[in-house]
This record gives sequence, structure tokens and C-alpha cells, in this order.
Amino acid sequence: MSAGVRARNESAWLLPNDGTRTNHRLRRDMRRFGDDDQVDLVIVGCGAGGSVLAQRLARAGWRVVALDAGPFWDPDTDWVSDEAGSHHLYWTDPRVIAGADPVPLGSNNSGRGVGGSMVHYAGYTPRFHPSDFSTLRDDGVGADWPFGYQELRPYYAAIEQELPVAGEHWPWGDPHGYPHRPHPVGGNGELFLSGAEKLGIEARVGPVAIANGRFGNRPHCIYRGFCLQGCKVNAKASPLITHIPDALAHGAEVRADAMVTRVGIDERTGRATGVHYVRDGASRFQRAAMVAIAGYSIETPRLLLNSASPRYPDGLCNEFDQVGRYIMVQGAPQTAGRFDAEVRMYKAPPPEVSTEEFYETDPAKDYKRGFAVQTVSPLPITWAEHVAAQGHWGRALRDYMSDYVHWACLGSLCEFLPLAGNRVTLADETDCYGLPVARFAYSQCDNDKALLTAAQHVMEDILTAAGADEVITIKRYAHLVGGARMAKDARHGVVDGRCRTFAVPNLYITDGSVLPTQGSANPALTIMAVAARAADQLISGARGGDG
Amino acid sequence: MTQGPPAAPGPRGRFPGFAVMRQAPHWDEVTALTIRSRIAPPAPRFFTAAEQATARALAGQLLDQPHDDLGVPVMEMIDARLADGQTDGWRQEDMPEDGQAWRDTLAHLDSDAKERFSAAFADCDGREQAAIVQAVQDLGSRDWHGLPAGHVWSLWTRYACTALYAHPAAWDEMGFPGPAYPRGYKNAGVDAREPFEVRDARPALDPVRERR
Repeated sequence: MSAGVRARNESAWLLPNDGTRTNHRLRRDMRRFGDDDQVDLVIVGCGAGGSVLAQRLARAGWRVVALDAGPFWDPDTDWVSDEAGSHHLYWTDPRVIAGADPVPLGSNNSGRGVGGSMVHYAGYTPRFHPSDFSTLRDDGVGADWPFGYQELRPYYAAIEQELPVAGEHWPWGDPHGYPHRPHPVGGNGELFLSGAEKLGIEARVGPVAIANGRFGNRPHCIYRGFCLQGCKVNAKASPLITHIPDALAHGAEVRADAMVTRVGIDERTGRATGVHYVRDGASRFQRAAMVAIAGYSIETPRLLLNSASPRYPDGLCNEFDQVGRYIMVQGAPQTAGRFDAEVRMYKAPPPEVSTEEFYETDPAKDYKRGFAVQTVSPLPITWAEHVAAQGHWGRALRDYMSDYVHWACLGSLCEFLPLAGNRVTLADETDCYGLPVARFAYSQCDNDKALLTAAQHVMEDILTAAGADEVITIKRYAHLVGGARMAKDARHGVVDGRCRTFAVPNLYITDGSVLPTQGSANPALTIMAVAARAADQLISGARGGDG
Repeated sequence: MTQGPPAAPGPRGRFPGFAVMRQAPHWDEVTALTIRSRIAPPAPRFFTAAEQATARALAGQLLDQPHDDLGVPVMEMIDARLADGQTDGWRQEDMPEDGQAWRDTLAHLDSDAKERFSAAFADCDGREQAAIVQAVQDLGSRDWHGLPAGHVWSLWTRYACTALYAHPAAWDEMGFPGPAYPRGYKNAGVDAREPFEVRDARPALDPVRERR
């Protein structure tokens, strides 16, 4: 299997094998383009979507520049094995949150730098289910994708090999296996498995994008539990190590610390001409035959709106008021249970065991769609947030916190529905570049609320069955998708099934913002698979976006 | 209250002999530097002298530090974040940006204290301070001096908890070994421990059972 992967993506073999984590020579010798070189493609954002696109197209011989607003990370010197010290991994430029149920951003869902949010994601990479692609047709809620699961299936399998993913055979959705065996289970996972078994709920180990055994020059996981703080081991997959090295080796340029401020437009033809960006305090412009935006669900709509021009007065691609709409987060209530035994949930990958038994619509319930349950293993600061959410402070807070080693913690991902009013617009406030910041409004619908309650009950039941004598829950959110969704036409979305914008023929969007629905799955794998599919279609078409 | 050597295991005393900093030689250099710099943060740059006193007293209440002092410089750690503009990456629409929100709410605490106890918040005794803080929490999402009390509560507890639980003295109290690179863990699983971890001496000290 490894040989097959290496032939199409050599990233893991381009990393050093001497105990350090970064191939500095590859970065130093990287091909560099001038601003006046009209490259074939400029990509905005080096996260899950942008990095896969860069790697695929560079391999196909395209001249590619990928810009990122943040740094080109070196895990050895830039990352620490510590919660508070990892603050710089998150996008913390000013943003305003609003609505009936405002969604915190930053550490919760927003990454910064090459690798994007996958640098600090938990590494969980389930596929979407086939039912996720037609929820409107089949369940009367949400939206239908322009293509079905079968279209994405080969890309799921390809990316699972490239990350690579470890887990047991997966019985849900489209049943499938994983390239690596499941990792050993920590105390938190043991209790989940035991509680689920007593209730007759099927639970499985995996899928985590952490190599089990060496993979290329990437070493084995050491189970230190700091997956959300950036993997200093190079064991957990992020595009920084899974796609960027191969992209560089095939002539792509990654230009870090470059904040894109607007897309350049030829007012006569309406086509994109490149991107305006700021680097080292200087305003610059990279010419390109084609532009792909991959800034994720908040920054992608913001960039489109900030790219308004006389030809596109309401923002780019916004003729039908679709930009920034239908953003989704997953309801992610987190329920913890107390055991006299020591759980010490900070060891092993935080999400490790899960069940997708409650994923699809159950006709016996009064809500549509469903939720997944996974282990989550908060470290002390996030655990304090869980305890404080119960209203504890002062002595009670410290008492609960001193009890940390006795708690197991589960989290749900509830499929919140895409709603037009859940959207990004521009605020009056501006950032350090003088650009209006994003205002993100979110409100739950009744179906969302019903899912939260149902998911909490299942988690309480599992923990109680495992022997917990107290359960406590915090209501929170996880992930982001939508905001520039795929649709069949410009009245219902921003891009078509190939990720090409309806409005500008040589402008693409290849990140999580194109997803029309989200299922109850962590989105990283699907974002990568959608980008890989878009890349294939670009490669088989003509450059310049007219293929 | 804020400086000085870390206290001996507090009255909870659950992990006798456990001291995270003793493991520091096993950490990678970058992480060790980060943790060490946290133990002695710089002098305040953001809060005024009066605000420092109020913020120190508030953090003391929220984190039970006067009663059971871990020697963690919480106020200084909050000040450093605000001075550097290190926010969480969002603000509620009905709140000012974090720095201004801290200044405003510290002033409101003082005005509540003067109204109820005719003294600055920092000069009230612990019981009086606790009553003022409890009153803010009890408002839930209702208005407190023109701000939604729940969002104020979230701001205070987020910054205070992030500071305390970033500190090795707090990890000692909870049996958490802190940084784990490059060593990692070899003994995961229920009731499994590494050689450097200490068993909870009072495993039945369940905060809930305590209150029953």
C-alpha cells in the first residue's frame, strides 16, 4: 500500500528521519515566482482544501502559488506541548459573533498558518454517509449536493491512504476498512466501549488520521494527548506534512505570512486577474490565470464580500445574495462522567472511540437526521471551561478540578441544518489592514435543539452504564462548513459541483465553505476529498477555468 | 498573595509528592521555556494600579485563591494577555473588545462594592466580595451595568481559568503531568499510571458526594 501512495504523494518520505520534523532544504530551495509572473493558479489559504489542490495541480505540471496569512510552521521550534502556549495556532484576528446562539471562533474552529485548522484538529476523519448528499430529497431538510457519495468515494479512499487513517472496519454509511490498524485505547475509550456494550450500542475504534507504525519518515504516535496543540511528533496528519512537501517537490511555491485582501477583477471581462495581498507591510499583487479561494467558512465569504467592485457591487459572486449564507456548525454537547477509578483521559488520541448508530433519520423520533458520539478528552484549561459551565466557581470549581483524573468525557456531533440566516456579513469594525471584519450570526432551529437533547441523553446513558455516578454536560459547538455552498445554480449557491463559482469563470472555491450539508462527521476528510475531486476535474480540463 | 514559592500540596492533598516541575528536564526546550516564563510573568502593563487590585481580588474569588493560595499570578497572566491583545479570536456583539470589557467591568464591580459596602471591591472582605460576584452570576443573561451578565461572567471565567490551569501549581493539585514531549505515555487505560504519576490518595473525594 505504502508504495502505491508514495508514487502519487511522496510527502511522508520528504520529511527528515533524523528526529527533526521539518525539511528545511525543501523549503529553502522552493521555486519562487515573481508577482508579475502570470502563474496558472494562485490559491488563497494552505489548509485542508488549498493544500490538496496545490499538491495535485503541481504534480500535473501547473505553475502554482499558494498564499497563507500565517506562518510556515516548524513543529520543532514553533509548537509546544502545552495548552495556553498554543494560542498562536488559532486565527485570532478580530471577529464579531451574534445571533440567538453565537458560536465562539478561535481555538474552537479556526486555524492559522500553513496546515490550517488541521494543525489543531483532533485528527478524527470519518467519511460522510451516502445519505448526507440528499437530505432534502430524502428527509425534507437541508440541501442536496450536485453529486452523490459515489462520486466522492474514490477520493475518500485516496486521502485515507495519504493521511493515513487508522481504525477498525467501519460498519456505518458505506462500510469500509482503513489502511492502518486501530490505535490502542486509553481509559476514556475503554469506558465508552464498556458502557456502549452494556446498552447494546455498537461502538468502534477510529478513524484517526494518525499513522499506526512508521509511515514514510513519520514516526509512530507517542500518545501524549496534545493532538489539539499541533503534533510535535509528525504522527498526526495535517497538510503541512501530508501534502505541502510533495507540492514543493513538484514546483509549487508556498508564500506564507501573506494576507490576501481582495481578488483582482478585470472590470471589462469580469474575470479574476490575481489577488491583492499584504506581506511585510507592503501591498502586492500576484497575477494568475486562475484563482482558488480556500480560506474556510468565515474568511472565504469575508474575502468575497471585501472584493466588491463596480462590476460586482454587492461583493464577488453575490448577485443572488448567497455569499456567507448557510454556514453550519455541529452542535457538540460534551458530557463527562465521574468514576472512582482513575481515567486520566489526557493520554492517547482525544477522539478515539465512536458510534454512528444515531447518524441517520429515525422515523420513530420527532426530529430529522442525527448525531455521532465520540470520546473527547479535554486538557485542564478546556476541562475548566466544562466545569465552569455548570456554574461552579471559587472552592467548588477547584474541588471539581482537583478531581480531573476521575472523569471520562464524551462529545456529540449533531447535524445542525443549513439555514439561510446563519451567515457571515461585514461588520463596521476594521482589522489591522483596514478591512471590515467578519460578523458571524448563528441561531439554532427546533430540529437542532431536539438533536442536542437526544445526544446528551445517549451520552449520559453510556457513561452511567459504564459506572459513572455523576454526569455533567456543557453545550458547545464544533467545526464550520458552508458559507459559499455548492448548488445546481446561482440562485441557490455560490459554486457548481466542480467548485467553480457561478459568477466568475476562472474563480474557484475549494474549502469547507462549499459543503451544502455536514452530516455528523468531522469535516476535514470530506473537505480534502472534495478538493481532490475538483483538482482532477481541473487537470482534465483546460487551464484558465474554461474547460 | 500572587508571588512567592508554590504552596505545598493544598488542603485537598490528593497527590502527595507529585510536583510537575520535577519532570521539566524531560521536556523539549521550547515547551520548557514556555512553562518557565509563565511562573514569573512580567509586571502588569495593561491594568492601572486600581484595576490591578480589583482584578486580583476578583480572580481570587473566582479561583478560591485567598482561601487556598496556589501562588499563581493570575492577575498578572490576565494582564499580559490583554497588553498583548491576545484575545480568543471573537467577541460577542453586545460586548466591547476584551480589554475595554475588562476595564469597564472592573469599574462596575467597584461601583457595586461602594453601593453595597461603602468600600472599593478590593477593600471588601472575602464574604462581601463573594456576595457581589454571586449577584452578577445570579443575573444570568440579564443586564448588569448595560452589559449582559452572562457574557461578563464568561469573559471573567475564561481568562481566569485559562491563567490558573496553565500553571504547574494547578496541575500539581489535579495530578496532571503537564507537557509530554518527547517522552509521551506508555500506560494508557483505566487505573493505569506512568512511573512519574502519583495515585490519588483520596479517590472517593467526589465533589458531589461531598455535598450530599
